[in-house]
Amino acid sequence: MLEGFFNQMGQWPVSQAIGASIWIYPTIQAIHLVFLALFAGGMMITDLRLLGFGMRSKTTAEVARDARPWMVAGFLGLVATGLPQLMQNASREYFSEFFWYKMYLIAFGLIFLLTVRRKMIQATETSAASKVVGLISMAVWTGVTINARLIGLFT
Amino acid sequence: MQPVHDLFFWVSELPTSIAIRESLLFSPYLTVAHVVSMCLFAGLIVMMDLRLLGIGNMSTPFSELQKRLFPWQMLGMAMSAVTGLTLAYSDPMRFYVNIFFWTKMLVMVLAGINAMAFHFITYNSVLTWDSRATTPFGAKLSGALGMVLWAIVIVSGRLIPYNWFQNN
Repeated sequence: MLEGFFNQMGQWPVSQAIGASIWIYPTIQAIHLVFLALFAGGMMITDLRLLGFGMRSKTTAEVARDARPWMVAGFLGLVATGLPQLMQNASREYFSEFFWYKMYLIAFGLIFLLTVRRKMIQATETSAASKVVGLISMAVWTGVTINARLIGLFT
Repeated sequence: MQPVHDLFFWVSELPTSIAIRESLLFSPYLTVAHVVSMCLFAGLIVMMDLRLLGIGNMSTPFSELQKRLFPWQMLGMAMSAVTGLTLAYSDPMRFYVNIFFWTKMLVMVLAGINAMAFHFITYNSVLTWDSRATTPFGAKLSGALGMVLWAIVIVSGRLIPYNWFQNN
């Protein structure tokens, strides 16, 4: 069922239009990376604070509150530039293991962000627990990035 | 640019350069590592530039943000440089004819000049605006230039594989 949907998605007029142009797809790829930097920065500044390396005169909650709008903007930009890439490549990405690893890791990363990490951000002291949360967050999103790049290289 | 051409060509003939070029997986893995280190470097540079523009991370004094992020930015830069230089080393003649590669190199130099200018001029007065709600014009200019220039570096870097203007 999902395979049919992916095949169909590749046939949408907009997907075909992206594929027909030599520069639209590369430009979207490049802008995707700029949003990646914004997202990664907003994520890491808080993760580093969780690890106890960040701005120690501020609480993690304050650092996170400052970074959140930029992290969200980065994420929305990534989705907006990621979807057209998927549409253009839909039937190939369906068979890419890296694409699915990336999706699973994003799903896990978002759930982790909205539950465990969100709770840990409220803690006023750096602890072993906050360090583990910061490390998991960094590892998961690094995993997303690695698999994302591998889609392009091996699909 | 004959001397540059000769240097690139000389590197391309070195046994280690050929070995990396002919390895199936070395370059892709280097590319992946280059993107991950770019995130560390550019991500934290953006966070600092937003603070310079006066629109992000404003609850932290600039000097503290700069001091805490600096080691990580340098780690990201070192990793980007090592992976990037190895990529260039492994296939120099491919990069020599690539307009996006040279755009990236040029704009990186401009971004470096921007960072130095900020460090030696605007940063001297940091104590007068460290915790203020607004930042001075010099800081805003450096922040805006930093974001634009590094974005161009990222975009031109990603476009290197597409040699639309290449003349073989």
